[in-house]
Amino acid sequence: MSEILRRDPRKEWIARNRLHPQHLEVLAELGGGAASEWVGPNGLVRRNPHVVGFMGPNGLKRIDRSGVQQGAGGGGAAKAATQSKPLVEIESPAFLVAVVPDMAGGRLTGHDRDLLGLARQLADADPAAPGAVLAVIFGEHKEDGFAEAGIDRLLHLDGPDVEGFAPEARLGALVAAEEAWTPRHWLIPDSKLGGADLGRRLAARLGERPATGVWQIEASAEADLGWSCTARGAAGTLDIQRSLPRFALALAECAEPVSDTRHAASELTLPQALPAQLSRIEDLGQVAVDPAGVALSEAEFILSAGNGVRDWDGFHHAAEVLGATEGASRVAVDDGFMARNRQVGATGTWVTARVYVAVGISGAIQHLQGIQSCDKVVAINMDPGCDMIKRADLAVIGDSAKVLEALVALVEQAREEKRNAA
Amino acid sequence: MTVLVSVGRHPVTGRSRRADQDARGVELARTLPGAEIGLLHAGRLDEGNEAALRGYLGMGFDALTLIEQPESSDALPALAEALKAAPPQLVIAGERAEQGEGSGLLPYLLAERLGWPLVSGLAAVEEVSGGVATVLQALPRGQRRRLKVRLPAIVTVDAAAPAPRQSAFGPAQRGRLEVSEAPVAADVEMAEWQFKPARKRPKRLKIVKAASARDRFKAAAAKAEGGGGQVLTDVTAEQGAAAVYKLLKEEGVLR
Amino acid sequence: MLDTLLPILIAASLALAVIGAWRRVRLWRQGRSAPVDLLKGLAAMPRRYLVDLHHVVARDKVMSNTHVATAGGFVAAAVLMVLVHGLGLAQGVLGWALLAASATMFAGSCFVARRRRNPPARLSKGPWMRLPKSLMAFSLSIFAITLPAVGLLPEDFGSWILALALCTVLVWGLGEMVFGMTWGGPMKHAFAGALHLAFHRRAERFSTKGGEGNRSTGLKALNLDDRDAPLGVETPSDFTWNQLLGFDACVQCGRCEAVCPAFAAGQPLNPKKLIQDMVVGMAGGSDAHYAGSPYPGKPVGEHEGSADGPIVAREGKALVDADTLWSCTTCRACVEECPMMIEHVDAIVDMRRFLTLEHGNTPNKGAEVLDNLIATDNPGGFDPGARMHWAADLELPLMRDLQQAEVLLWLGDGAYDMRNQRTLRSLVKVLRAADVDFAVLGDEERDSGDVARRLGDEATFQSLAKRNIATLSKYRFKRIVTCDPHSFHVLGNEYGELGGDYEVRHHSTFIAELYDAGRLHFKPWKGGSVTYHDPCYLGRYNGEFEAPRNVLRALGIEVAEMERSGFRSRCCGGGGGAPITDIPGKQRIPDMRMGDVRETGAELVAVGCPQCTAMLEGVVDASAEVRDIAELVADALIAAPASTGERSQTQEAQAAEVL
Ligand SMILES: Cc1cc2nc3c(=O)[nH]c(=O)nc-3n(C[C@H](O)[C@H](O)[C@H](O)COP(=O)(O)OP(=O)(O)OC[C@H]3O[C@@H](n4cnc5c(N)ncnc54)[C@H](O)[C@@H]3O)c2cc1C
Ligand code: SF4
Ligand code: SF4
Repeated sequence: MSEILRRDPRKEWIARNRLHPQHLEVLAELGGGAASEWVGPNGLVRRNPHVVGFMGPNGLKRIDRSGVQQGAGGGGAAKAATQSKPLVEIESPAFLVAVVPDMAGGRLTGHDRDLLGLARQLADADPAAPGAVLAVIFGEHKEDGFAEAGIDRLLHLDGPDVEGFAPEARLGALVAAEEAWTPRHWLIPDSKLGGADLGRRLAARLGERPATGVWQIEASAEADLGWSCTARGAAGTLDIQRSLPRFALALAECAEPVSDTRHAASELTLPQALPAQLSRIEDLGQVAVDPAGVALSEAEFILSAGNGVRDWDGFHHAAEVLGATEGASRVAVDDGFMARNRQVGATGTWVTARVYVAVGISGAIQHLQGIQSCDKVVAINMDPGCDMIKRADLAVIGDSAKVLEALVALVEQAREEKRNAA
Repeated sequence: MTVLVSVGRHPVTGRSRRADQDARGVELARTLPGAEIGLLHAGRLDEGNEAALRGYLGMGFDALTLIEQPESSDALPALAEALKAAPPQLVIAGERAEQGEGSGLLPYLLAERLGWPLVSGLAAVEEVSGGVATVLQALPRGQRRRLKVRLPAIVTVDAAAPAPRQSAFGPAQRGRLEVSEAPVAADVEMAEWQFKPARKRPKRLKIVKAASARDRFKAAAAKAEGGGGQVLTDVTAEQGAAAVYKLLKEEGVLR
Repeated sequence: MLDTLLPILIAASLALAVIGAWRRVRLWRQGRSAPVDLLKGLAAMPRRYLVDLHHVVARDKVMSNTHVATAGGFVAAAVLMVLVHGLGLAQGVLGWALLAASATMFAGSCFVARRRRNPPARLSKGPWMRLPKSLMAFSLSIFAITLPAVGLLPEDFGSWILALALCTVLVWGLGEMVFGMTWGGPMKHAFAGALHLAFHRRAERFSTKGGEGNRSTGLKALNLDDRDAPLGVETPSDFTWNQLLGFDACVQCGRCEAVCPAFAAGQPLNPKKLIQDMVVGMAGGSDAHYAGSPYPGKPVGEHEGSADGPIVAREGKALVDADTLWSCTTCRACVEECPMMIEHVDAIVDMRRFLTLEHGNTPNKGAEVLDNLIATDNPGGFDPGARMHWAADLELPLMRDLQQAEVLLWLGDGAYDMRNQRTLRSLVKVLRAADVDFAVLGDEERDSGDVARRLGDEATFQSLAKRNIATLSKYRFKRIVTCDPHSFHVLGNEYGELGGDYEVRHHSTFIAELYDAGRLHFKPWKGGSVTYHDPCYLGRYNGEFEAPRNVLRALGIEVAEMERSGFRSRCCGGGGGAPITDIPGKQRIPDMRMGDVRETGAELVAVGCPQCTAMLEGVVDASAEVRDIAELVADALIAAPASTGERSQTQEAQAAEVL
């Protein structure tokens, strides 16, 4: 864009006239994407207070004047921010820190980012001899933020061999990487998404004893690699303090993810092609599991019905639309609306869902026992005084059928929009 | 097939017991029709351990093979030798032990040593026939993946595997512990570590790297909004639903 | 002709009866041995029959009189028949006596017949429907053939056809009444019942000249050290012989069925059918001939067994399904009502023991609860070190510090339950108000073992009990007070066999004593109408019906009694691990009990048991509030009237701090 301001009086006029049919379009154009802001007739920046702001904690509209939250161009703003992060390039690293992210769903997971943060700690500890972070990823991906996640070098291995559950092929590739570059550290997420398995395979193959369940590292002069770590042992009941070995499987939140810098994320290739492997494990693919039918104890998101549910079709429909697993209070089971294996509570299943939505459940102690280890509890209930409300992180007082209906509408609407956008 | 069993530790009281995952492994083995199941443990034999090991016998077994090893020794060579001597088709193990390092490495090291394939995190074994096992691997959110693995193989069980049957007192008392000896390999490295009861990990604070005071203020305000125990009274169904929707979105459970 | 025929008939029936008896005895002897003093038992039998059995039968006046007439008449008639017609001693008074006896019996049998005209559902039909006719056949034919013998009719009255007809009727009567008594049939109950009374497994239940019998409700311990001893009952022959004998004594009156809460809730249990199934199993065969109410939801005729076959199959069907056994709340209502003094609960727990200890098949949450008890000494799996967290602010005196106290307050696992903690707080307030010297075990207390034992896990029970006994033996105290009737029962009645003898009081009893001693003062009751629910383990198990009512009276409450109260109280559904095994039925037992409460119109139901509180509070849309007696007492506490002066004022202040 040129630096000279070119003015278009007609557009400025439209911009000032809120009732003009083209008002918003023009605003957007003038404001460079932010319809809430444009350059006024005499070069002053103008703001439209009606399109800015967000809902404050007490339901009042708040206008944010920091400039971050402006207009519809959130993505653009974020991009601008990343662009402004300083780019750190490590041309000739003193050593490598290898990370093997899970890349669940083709993207870096939060856990992956934490590990990359940990990798940066190791790599950047000595400014005189900086290391580089090497990420090894497998298969197709949709991630475009490798640079922002702190990756200097990227080894991307693709091909049918390493797709799906292919531990043997992936292991072969990692061994090749080890042989090619011999990183000083290997960091792998200790996660059910694959890291825990692959990391152990790698350590076993290379005959090195890894640290597992690592959640903290500290610089330590005595240790071989200069670091000591704290790791969970004995099924999470012990903390083991030991020097950090070359191979570490680390837990989520072991470090802060990288946020201030950008890195090169330059692609590497293995010096030699991978030898073809004869796999003894064949992946027959994922088995379709209906979320509603997932065992309660394994479910991550439960929509649970109690005596306050009258519209059962509506409830089942809601569970289906939300993709939630169905749960129930004992009364709902006793009354024959739900199967017995759906009962949550003292005499039912103790669930560990991250989100538990209790619809028309009063929160008897026997029921609450069953949801002790749920992270977030949402209650939809008519009675603001009932115990479930006290337990809930978010409670909506209202008729269960209506709220569910509205929720279903919202979700469907959002899906529709997404489809249209795509 | 052989199930590797270890002495577990109750998470609250620390009393020894059959380890939950190993017991699931035993249960998994029992679900296979016609399977000949052997139980194998390497470790020390004392009163507490014996009670715990008898817990496995109480699941309906006559005997358990116990390779005596002193405490804090490396069970790997002993187990590998025993399995090499009489190789089973399938070795089932828990994902990690409830005592000591509990690194979950043992099955991997065993597989490496024996040169067998390993599949981790099983929810079920569907079929064993013709030297191949069809298994279901547990994925997060109750999802499953079907795999075929060439035998002999080592598999580990997931918490999604069927819950272990009750251990009955009678068979537990009557069952035999068949004690055998094996060379001992001391775990030298582990002797250097420090063990402490697990500390509670600090909850991660949302660190806001804000360029300006306004950003920081905004972040603080946003956090208060998400704070726990929010009760929405006198809202329309739509407003309530919107709040719920927002939370579900934030938690990432909607897809 | 009759003269020759009658002695033959009588002798033949007696001989057949002996054969029948031999066969029955052989059936019973399949059972395990049991230490019984045979002679002493036989000597005590008449008293047990006349006093104890009739004490139960007399709850139904008509039936009681009917039985006296019929049974008394029959016994007399049978003996006299042998003398008069068998041995020909017809002269004089004997013949007349026989006439009188058979007439009485006939009168009785008319009542039996009347009852059978429209029998209530609890009575078995089938062969039992012919019993009144058989009774009449016997009494009438005896009466008729005796008429000539005493000279009321000429010797050769009527033709031989009449004589023959009479003989036929008599054969029927003799067959049912004499041969059938031992071989099998409705009259079997008389033979088996008499011997059952004589050789009863719990002789202490019966009164003696010295006084009343006791309730004898504690379960008997298994010998776990003997590796060869069977763990519980797998097959009918694993019962002791006198248990088998007891099953055979059942008259299928169905009184147990009528009071069984599980049966009423539509759970698959009927105590009568269960006893009959044991009889079927003892002799071998299927239950197809059973003619009473089935287990709800389980058709008759699909189960069979034998003396040495399993009662419960690991897979498929055998004599009884496991869920039948697990439906029982061990409320003892059936035992309390059974006129034949049969011990259903013992039998059920014996069979459960096998299922748990050998099969490892405690259903539902059972296995988890038992594992928790083993690993954490409490059923909820809570940290044993957190047992006293609820009382952190109360500064309860610990036995460990004091070494002795007058009263040891046993808290029970309710210490982990928020609802019960309110009761415990109230109780502490009351004890402090009355200035009682008490202390608690604190973290040293463990579950009493009640649930483990009722779930059949004798091993865990004994382990807990022995460790509790060892702990208790370290300290000196006069008595144990507890607000948990289950702990009360186990500590008081079941620890003795393992070497722990204590004087145990339920808190209601203790509060009543304190009140009587003038150590507590209450303000008058201002609330609405109140009813009281007798906990099974306090009432039927320990005979404490009065103390709670006395306390309520002292509070100024007039109890609006439920129809089923006192020894007939209906279970809340919380005993015997039933909420843990949670066998589905048509409705829930606590809902029925709350229905009973609603009928009284009470706004509040007073209870004396944490389990009852939990069960009754779990009822949705209940019409009454549930409060423990301790809470009601604590709320009503006031300082002593001025005369007792300052001391109690400070107490009151102390007490106020507690809550
Ligand atoms: C030994 C024992 C074990 C038990 N085990 C369990 C167990 O494992 N699991 C279990 O769940 N229970 C268990 N219970 C039962 C428990 O005590 C409660 O009775 C039960 O949980 C209540 O279920 P509820 O909340 O669905 O019903 P209610 O208590 O009737 O609550 C219904 C709720 O819905 C609300 N409501 C009514 N209409 C509407 C509407 N239109 N929209 C929104 N809200 C509405 C009401 O305000 C109320 O809060 C057990 C009880 C006992 C005694
Ligand atoms: S003890 Fe109670 S529940 Fe059990 S059979 Fe007897 S009456 Fe029924
Ligand atoms: S068990 Fe007792 S109460 Fe039940 S039917 Fe038989 S005799 Fe009657």
